[in-house]
Parts: sequence; structure tokens; C-alpha cells
Amino acid sequence: MHSTRPRPNRTGRAMLAAVAGCALAGTAALSGCSASSTAGGSGGGGSLPQSKNAHATGDLTVWIRGAGDSPKAYQKIFDAFTAQSGIKVDITTATLTDFETKLTAAASAHRLPDVVLDDAAQLGNFESQGIILPVDKAKLAGADQLTDLAWKSATDLHGQPYAVPFSAQANVLLIRKDWLDKLGLQPPKTWDDLAKVAKAFTTQDPDGDGKADTYGLDIPGSTARGYTSWYWSSFLYQAGGDFVKSAGDGKYTATVNTPQAVQSARFLENQVCTAKDVQPSVLGDDTTATNKAFQTGVAGIYLTGPYAYATMDATTVKGKYIVIAPPAGPSGTTATLAEGTDIFTMADAKSDEATKLEEFMITPQAQQLGMIGVKTATVVRLSVNKTVDAAAVHNGDQRWQVAQQVYADAGHYEWDNLPNWTALRQKASAGLNKLLSSCGDTQSALNALNGDLNSALRQQGVG
Amino acid sequence: MTAQASPASTPEAPVPAARARGRDTGLYEPVAPPARRPAPRRRIRRTGRRLMPWLYLAPVLVFIGVFKLWPTIWGVYLSFFHVRPYLGNQYVAGANYQRAFSDPDLRAAVLHTVIDAVGAVAGSILVGFALALLLEGPARHLRILRTAVFLPTVVAMVAAASLWQTLLYPSRYGAVNSLLGAFGAGPAPFLSSTHSSLASVILIQVWKNAPYDMVIFVAGLAGIDRQLYEAAHLDGAGALQRLRYVTLPSLRPITTIVLTLGIIRGLRVFTEIWVATSGGPAGSTQSVVTYVYEQFSENNDAGYAAAIGTLLLAVTILLTCLNLWWRNRREAW
Repeated sequence: MHSTRPRPNRTGRAMLAAVAGCALAGTAALSGCSASSTAGGSGGGGSLPQSKNAHATGDLTVWIRGAGDSPKAYQKIFDAFTAQSGIKVDITTATLTDFETKLTAAASAHRLPDVVLDDAAQLGNFESQGIILPVDKAKLAGADQLTDLAWKSATDLHGQPYAVPFSAQANVLLIRKDWLDKLGLQPPKTWDDLAKVAKAFTTQDPDGDGKADTYGLDIPGSTARGYTSWYWSSFLYQAGGDFVKSAGDGKYTATVNTPQAVQSARFLENQVCTAKDVQPSVLGDDTTATNKAFQTGVAGIYLTGPYAYATMDATTVKGKYIVIAPPAGPSGTTATLAEGTDIFTMADAKSDEATKLEEFMITPQAQQLGMIGVKTATVVRLSVNKTVDAAAVHNGDQRWQVAQQVYADAGHYEWDNLPNWTALRQKASAGLNKLLSSCGDTQSALNALNGDLNSALRQQGVG
Repeated sequence: MTAQASPASTPEAPVPAARARGRDTGLYEPVAPPARRPAPRRRIRRTGRRLMPWLYLAPVLVFIGVFKLWPTIWGVYLSFFHVRPYLGNQYVAGANYQRAFSDPDLRAAVLHTVIDAVGAVAGSILVGFALALLLEGPARHLRILRTAVFLPTVVAMVAAASLWQTLLYPSRYGAVNSLLGAFGAGPAPFLSSTHSSLASVILIQVWKNAPYDMVIFVAGLAGIDRQLYEAAHLDGAGALQRLRYVTLPSLRPITTIVLTLGIIRGLRVFTEIWVATSGGPAGSTQSVVTYVYEQFSENNDAGYAAAIGTLLLAVTILLTCLNLWWRNRREAW
């Protein structure tokens, strides 16, 4: 019979101690594993660092930041590569959510893929984490066929390319033609025009349903993924400003409180706070929401990239919008945010084979496959290859003509090569989002943001 | 239990000489084991019985150990490093903690978290209590109503927050705003204004958790002795006075538990805020855990995120211990 007096819980305590002990032992063992080795040796002398698996052969593993039909489009390119070279390529991860987090987890386990396709904006991050290999432009076949602007986006602060550009894009203005026609307006060419058209869209009922349910500008103002700053950058560049500038000697200072920056922020603030011609959920909307707003006729002016053509054409707004160059700034400067997708060779890659893949992916054949291989996923928006004409590939589609023109004439990349550009973009987003929600004084808000960016640059070692 | 009793727990009886010699005596005798039964088998059986519960619990314990205990310990460990996944972590001792204590954004996040925890819990208790008063009783229509009212609790928080984000659309034609418009009230900005975003997020949590508290209060109300009500009624107490002097004091233990546990749990709020507002606009709904998530995923600073997480763990442990100590003290009176 079990005794009824309360027994000291010795067994229970012993068990707990055992579990805790095991956990701590396991932790200590794992810490020994992780707090160790560096990347494949930082190059001694003048030679570039090599992967320890440089000459290994086998299937190439690729991770892609993309979802939906994008992996299919990439697979088409990879299949063409396999047919030509005999090297098989496996897409082992394709996702839009938490892509970099997953890559970081793979990095800690030292189980990186061979090749990663991701936004050019991640260049500096990846380099400072030590997970990518530099690119030897001299040894890359076809490197001279790529545009200078594209190579600039794949180059780090010291002028060393750390990625192979694959696709490029620049933001263009999508605007509802039917609304313009109904109100008898011309497509906007300057900021003043833009403000007028946005106001008209908001107040003059361009969809004719008798309700005040339409708005002018469609702005993703959420701080998630730095969207607020992403949107602001085009206007910042149009005003002649920029986020940081080089202070020489490898150092950079923030420049978001210059008169040009203030002017561009004030313009956006006016639209959101005073004229109120922006969609009302602006402060919390990411691009999924703004896509929907444009597609459902909530807002009529959308600054976005040419990848949006396929998404818009899949909805009822197809055929109702035109694509024009973004408006010129107050001093007549044309500029727009340029971005791209780069091919990154990871630190432990089978780099001989990976280089062959990269050389193939920048050929006109692969670039064209990326553009029209899968109609619903334009993984190559504008080609980085000088010899490929986007408009011709898309059967003379005028929208691609505009996109190409805008990229070549006015494309302005972000500071992808700073050690952690996404952290700076995040801070800028938070600051701008705060300004747009409080509708306060622009200069003091930007002064505060400037201070934040400067301390972040210092933390990153370039301030 | 003496060392010589058998598991069948029969009293010890002398072994008849005949039986000991191997012959059936024809009498019914309790079969006592011979004096020299090997003791280890009995000890093994006893230890086996003590171990049985642990064996049943082992799968869950392993699960908790691997998915909760180990990551917690690992997180505490990482908080002392500048975490660089590929290049190897750098030991920085208390630098992350120093940064945490001087970070104004973290202080704001703590403030929002506390306001959210207290507001959401108090709100769900009030609404839950009101619902319990209205819907308590064994009648069938009340049971159906209680089940219907309970549905928000079983909806996944992600789905609920996403849904409310649409319902609270800030223009005049948003769902809730249209309703308000019918009563002549202007369109409210809800989640898109820094002044009302935290309140809107609290609203979502109250909507989701109040029915759960209602169920607890209904059980509590059912447990109140009806004679107290009769006595009060005989003493001339009206409905409100009965509520105040009989119902509320009887429910105090439950209310206290729900309140304290809810607030401690509410310090970890993440899903509803992340889905509805991502901590915005302008950081007005930033909570400690959403801040940790941002530091880790967007600023690539896992060490700092781990330090904040560890501080939150320490605070939660402290509050839980205080809560237990206080309850033990009260019960000892």
C-alpha cells in the first residue's frame, strides 16, 4: 500500500535535475560546435577567397526568394542549363516569407546552398555575415555584356563585386486611364501635376458610383520590410537627395535632413495629412494591400515595379491603366528607385559549377526565358544583358518600353552595399511612418531620423 | 509497508510445516512467500511504480524539453554574444543587456505591453463577467447562446486579427465605420492612428478572450450557494446589492487568479499585434515580443533579441513566483 504521508519528491527533483543537466550539457556541446570556424579563409595576398568545395562536383542546390510561379520560371532556366551542361540544379527552398531568417539558420548549421537568388538589397548584409563569395569579373564569361548600372548594384563598398546581377527593375507609375479620361486630365509629369490628379481622383468621383470611395495615391506605408522608406526613396531621389553620402575614408554620413530630403518628405506628408488624397489605410498597408487597393479601384495612382504588370493583368483592372515615367522633382530631376535580383554564390559552394550556372543565367537565352518563359512570373524584369531589349521580347509592349527607358535614364539604386542596409531602411521607414502618422514638423522629424541613421552607421562600423 | 509484505498485501502468516514440505494440506491458507524472497525484485517493482508516471509523461517532457526548455536556455546563452551565425559568435558579456536598459524604443515597448496586458485582461474580465451574468443558467437557449458566444475563443488568433484588420478599415466604408456611420458617428481611424491603435488591438483581444472568462465566471457563479442569495433577499437586498455583497466577494478568488495569470501571460502578446499592425503605426503598438522579433529578423541582431527575451523571461518568472507566494500567504490565513 502506498503510504499516505506526503513523501519528499526526491524522484521528481532528481528527474528535473537530470533534464536540466542534459539540456545544459547539450547546450555546451552545441556552443562548442557553433562558436567556431570562419568562412573559407579570408584571402591572403591579393587572391579572392575560395570556397573549400570549389572544385567539387554534383547537383547544385539553389534557394530562391520567390513564390507562386517564380520557382517554375527558374526551373525552366535551370532545365535549359542542365540540357547544355549536364549539371543538375535543385531548387531546395523557394519562399517569400522569412527567407533571410531561414538562410541565417542554414548558415549557423553551415548547411548553406550553393547559390541563392535574392534581392540586390541583401548584398551588404550577406557580405558582412561572411556567407557569400566575391565574384571574379575577369573570369566570368559574358561579364562585359552586362550594363554598368547592373554591376554597380552588385559591388561592395570597396569596389569588389560580390554577386552576379540577374534582373533589374525601376519603379514606374501605374495610373487609371479610365479615371483620367472621365475627369479630363492629362497624365502627371511633375509633383504639382501628381498632387492635382491625386486630389481629383479623391474628390471628383472618377468611378462614377456616387460614393466618395476613391483615392489618388496608393502608398504602402507600413514599416514591415521597410516599405515606407522604399516608397519614399523615389521622391527623395527626385528631389535630388539621398539617404547617405560618402564622407571619404570608407565612412558615410546620413543625409536625410537636407533641404532636398525635407522637401520630398513634406510632399508626401502633405498628401497624407493635408490633402488626404491617399488611401486611408496607408500607415499599415504593405504591398499586398496596395496591390489589392489598385486592383479593386480604391486608389488610382500606383508607383511600383514592372513585375506588377502580370499581377494587375490577372484582375479586372487589366487594360484600364497606363504606365508612365514617375514625375520629375521640383528642380526637374527625374529619378526612380532601381532594384534588382542578384545571384549570390554562397561561401561553401561548389563554385566551379556555380560559376558555370551564373554564366549561363546572364546569357540572352536565359534572360529571355526568365522574361517570358512563364507568363505569370517575370523573374527577369529588365535584362541586365545589354543585348536584350525588354520591349522586343514582350512583343513591343509599350509598358516594358517605358520601364526600360526609366531604368536606363533615371534608375537610382539603394545603398545595398552598406554592411546592413536593411536595418537602415527599417529605421528610415519607422521615422517616416512616425512623421506621416503624427503629421508633425518635417524638419525636426528628419533631424531625429538623421541622428538615428548616423548612430546606426557607427554601429555598423562605417559611420 | 514492511519489507516482507507481498504486493498482494496479505498479512504474514506462518507457513504450515506440511506445505513447507511440499504437500497439499487441503486447508485454505494464504500463500505467504517464503521468508527469503529476493529483495531486489520487490525494490524494482516499487521503483517501477514510482517511475511509471514519469514514463507516461516522458513523451510530453521530451517535447517540452526540446521545443521549450532547450531554446530558452540557448536564448539565455546567446544573449551574452554578438551573434554571427556563419562567422562564429563573439562574446560580449553584458553589452546586450546594457543596451537593453538604455534603449528608449524598448522602454516604449514595455509601456505598451503593460497597458495592453492590463487593458485586455481587465476588459475581458469585465465583458466576460457581464456575459456570465446574462447567460448563466441551465436553460437550453442559454446553453446555445453560451456556445455561440464562445466561438471567438476557438478561432485562430491570426485569422481573428486579420479579420478585424479588415473590419476596422479606417475609411467611411469600412465595416465597423459603416455601422458607426448609421448612428451618425464619424469614421474612426482605429488601427491607422497612433492614438487609437493600441485601444483597437485591445479590442481584438477582448473580443477573443472575454468568452473564455465568461465560461470561468459561469462555473464560478454556479458554485455560489443559493442560500446566500435567499438570505440577502430576506434581508431586503435589491438585485444590485446582492450582486455587490454576495456575487462579487464569492467570485473574488477566481477573479484574482484570472487577473494575475492573464496579466503575466499578456506580457508575451505577439500574434494579434504583429498581424494587425506590425507594431505600428509609428511604433504605437510595439510590444516587447514584436520588438524582439524585429531585432532578430530585420536587424539581424539575434544576441540583442535574446537579451531582451531573457529579461522578459526573468520578469515573468519573478511575477509568477510573487503570485504563488502571495496566494500561499493568503491561503495560510
